[in-house]
Amino acid sequence: MDSLRIPILKIGDILIASIQVSLHDASAVQFKDDLLQKIYDTRARGVIIDLTALDVVDSFIGRLIADIAAMAGLMGTRVVLTGLQPAVAITLVELGLELPRVLTALNLEKGLSMMQRLTEESDDGPA
Amino acid sequence: MAQPKTAVVRSDLDIVIARTMARDLAKAMSFGAIDQARIATAVSELARNIFLYAGTGKVTVKEIDKSGRKGIEIVCEDQGPGIPDVDLVMQDGYSTSRGMGMGLPGARRLMDEFDLKSQEGVGTRITCRKWKSS
Ligand SMILES: Nc1ncnc2c1ncn2[C@@H]1O[C@H](COP(=O)(O)OP(=O)(O)O)[C@@H](O)[C@H]1O
Ligand SMILES: [Mg+2]
Repeated sequence: MDSLRIPILKIGDILIASIQVSLHDASAVQFKDDLLQKIYDTRARGVIIDLTALDVVDSFIGRLIADIAAMAGLMGTRVVLTGLQPAVAITLVELGLELPRVLTALNLEKGLSMMQRLTEESDDGPA
Repeated sequence: MAQPKTAVVRSDLDIVIARTMARDLAKAMSFGAIDQARIATAVSELARNIFLYAGTGKVTVKEIDKSGRKGIEIVCEDQGPGIPDVDLVMQDGYSTSRGMGMGLPGARRLMDEFDLKSQEGVGTRITCRKWKSS
């Protein structure tokens, strides 16, 4: 079966991906590859991944998200996760998985303004 | 009480089917949102282990009752290679597949009861339960 592709939108220099379906492992890996390729191609400064629809984040998906954040970081791209359900966040911690260095925001709107602040801050650096 | 439900696991899609089946039963039993997530996540880990290490196996979920207290029981079994050292695999971070090594110890933390029986060359059977807080 073909894995479902998760659409990745580009707005300005920010990429937005909203995961709307239950991810199976192959589609999750496909998403990671697509997203990293898109970051590379577009030189996006930030990526927002909206997880509102995800009701399970197990160690496989957790690691994948951590990997995306680490690799995006190497390309100078910030990652913000939005919409992580409280039950999912609690379960992740109990599972033993924390997502250090991954920024989170309550929803897509807050994620966007967080991203704007972050990318503006890095503009203010020494000339 | 509802009939036990079984999902055969032989692909990564079946992992999603198994955890959805467990969540649906937990929801029907009116477990809270956090417990539903705990149960679905534990099943996701155990079903993935079946797929990864045994190739095929099955997950059965059912409602249980102990002197009036209701709970959910999940049995994951396979006829795969088995686990030679059970204490070792229950340690955080131990993995033979460059995984996170959080599946078994994590599932144990997410559930109230966790029992792993395994014999090399015969297979693995994990029974875990979560009780409703009354
Ligand atoms: N059903 C199983 N059959 C055989 N070995 C298993 C099974 N489940 C787990 N294992 C072994 O236990 C180890 C730890 O499992 P787990 O905690 O889920 O971490 P991970 O899957 O990330 O390696 C696995 O690497 C594997 O060697
Ligand atoms: Mg595992």
